[in-house]
Amino acid sequence: MSAVSRHARSVEELGVPTVATAGINIVNYALDYDFKYSNGMPIRYVAFPFPIAGQPRSVHKEYVAGKDQLTGQPVMTAIVDALTTPLTDKEKMTDTASSAQAETEPRFLAPDTEENLRHLFKDKEWTDYNPIILPTEERVSEMLTGTSHKPDEVINTIRFMPGNRELTVEKVAIAAVMAGAKPEYMPLLLAIATRAPFGNSTTSMANTIIVNGPIRKELGMNSGTNAMGPYNDANSVAGRFFTLISKTAGDYRNNVNAWESLGSNLQYNSVTIAENEEKLPEGWEPLHVQMGFKPEDSVVTIGTGWSYISSLGETQPAYPAHMLIRDYLRSLSAYGSGATIYVDPTTASLLKDVNGFETKLKLSEWLSENVEKTVASYWGNGVIMTSNMAMAFQGLEPYASWQKMSRDALIKPFNNPKAINVVVVGGSIQTTWFATDFRLNPGVRVDDWR
Amino acid sequence: MNLKRLNAKLLQALFCSVLAILLPASAMGAEENITVMNPAIAGKLAKRVPLSPRLDTLQGKTIYMVDNQWGGPEGAYQLFEEMQVWFAENMPSVKTILRRTEGNMFTDDPALWKEISEKGDAAIIGTGQ
Repeated sequence: MSAVSRHARSVEELGVPTVATAGINIVNYALDYDFKYSNGMPIRYVAFPFPIAGQPRSVHKEYVAGKDQLTGQPVMTAIVDALTTPLTDKEKMTDTASSAQAETEPRFLAPDTEENLRHLFKDKEWTDYNPIILPTEERVSEMLTGTSHKPDEVINTIRFMPGNRELTVEKVAIAAVMAGAKPEYMPLLLAIATRAPFGNSTTSMANTIIVNGPIRKELGMNSGTNAMGPYNDANSVAGRFFTLISKTAGDYRNNVNAWESLGSNLQYNSVTIAENEEKLPEGWEPLHVQMGFKPEDSVVTIGTGWSYISSLGETQPAYPAHMLIRDYLRSLSAYGSGATIYVDPTTASLLKDVNGFETKLKLSEWLSENVEKTVASYWGNGVIMTSNMAMAFQGLEPYASWQKMSRDALIKPFNNPKAINVVVVGGSIQTTWFATDFRLNPGVRVDDWR
Repeated sequence: MNLKRLNAKLLQALFCSVLAILLPASAMGAEENITVMNPAIAGKLAKRVPLSPRLDTLQGKTIYMVDNQWGGPEGAYQLFEEMQVWFAENMPSVKTILRRTEGNMFTDDPALWKEISEKGDAAIIGTGQ
């Protein structure tokens, strides 16, 4: 539920007439999708132009003296009217009196030509606009042979977007067919689907999918040369599947409920890789073992973030990788102290053998201790400001102290080393690495979906 | 076009016409209908909840203004301060109380909602987004 509509509803339910105000973008979403699937209360809104935050007082003064973006009447007149104009019959409706018929989706689409169906899938925004395999019943049945789970089993109720959509094994198989998957991919895809949909925010989010354990070899995944590029079927299809299941099960539609201002090109494949466990330096554990799984478990881990920065060239002995990684991390938000560093096996070996990082955690601890940024830069990030400043006002540390420090003071924002993950991937062609701000969710056992 | 080529063209057209009569449409390139499965999932509609009754007038009433801090604590605060100025100038009998929520945009603030219901007559709740 939209934050402003949820708060307005809470006050309305206590019998207090309320008007909600926000930028026109948020109000349009609140009036449509949010009202229909989440809030259910016909909140009265007054809309300002966007943006609001970040504007000087002079602009806010103009907004208040200006027009309501919904009705065109003066803003303050609209606010007074919203609090005093008697309710309409629609605004008095209760569930029993007014509910629309519950939505239904037929199991099969109406028969049509292949060409028309392809257009339909695009018109409905069910694809990434690249060609798909149309999910005939025969193809979906074959896909379902890749798992022992029943087609009608609900594996995930999608709540990230309002609507509580129940994602079944059969719907996963449909998206798997669309993505061009093989039946043997199903356990991995089902595990991925338990984390669907991908991140969706005005801030233009991105994701990563990291696979560990024997399933990597079973599916022929690429953890070596070009692991992050378009050179492997399983990596490519699994990443694309996450996009398609997010759009179909998550009901993501452009400017309806998917409102990423710039969007993210990473959403086409979600940086889908397998960890190169065979090339880990001695003492460096695979990601899933660090999380508490057994080495013989097959696990997929999905992370959410925004940014992806390359080291470009080879590691220089005068300024080794960990120092440059530290520098690059300064430019990231440190939201939730989250970072994921992808290092080539050769870089990992240098970090261990030359720079003395005996484990991944030692490197994470060093980065946590050594990445510094100014207070002004930290609070200058809107996501940090929105989520963490309120905690500072509540006296929660370290945010309360960071809020009181001078703008030029240096802080260590990656204050939880366990949220700084290191993944070894690549073909030992170049001593390169990527620094990202992906925060990893707990891993999902693929074996549970065989 | 010479006569030989004209005859060849006529023969070709005749051959195609005969084929069109004898062969099914699919063999001539017309697409058949197929049936595919639906990837979409029905959403559950929200339960409808009515608004609370409106006030007859705002004159002499207390209005709480709440910034829920989406966009940061300064995101919309000035906007509310400017609304306070408007009420002071245009409806001076209205008392306005400006507050921020205790948490952030993702959290609720039941203590503030209770205070508003006990001490306020109306509310304006807004965001910096």
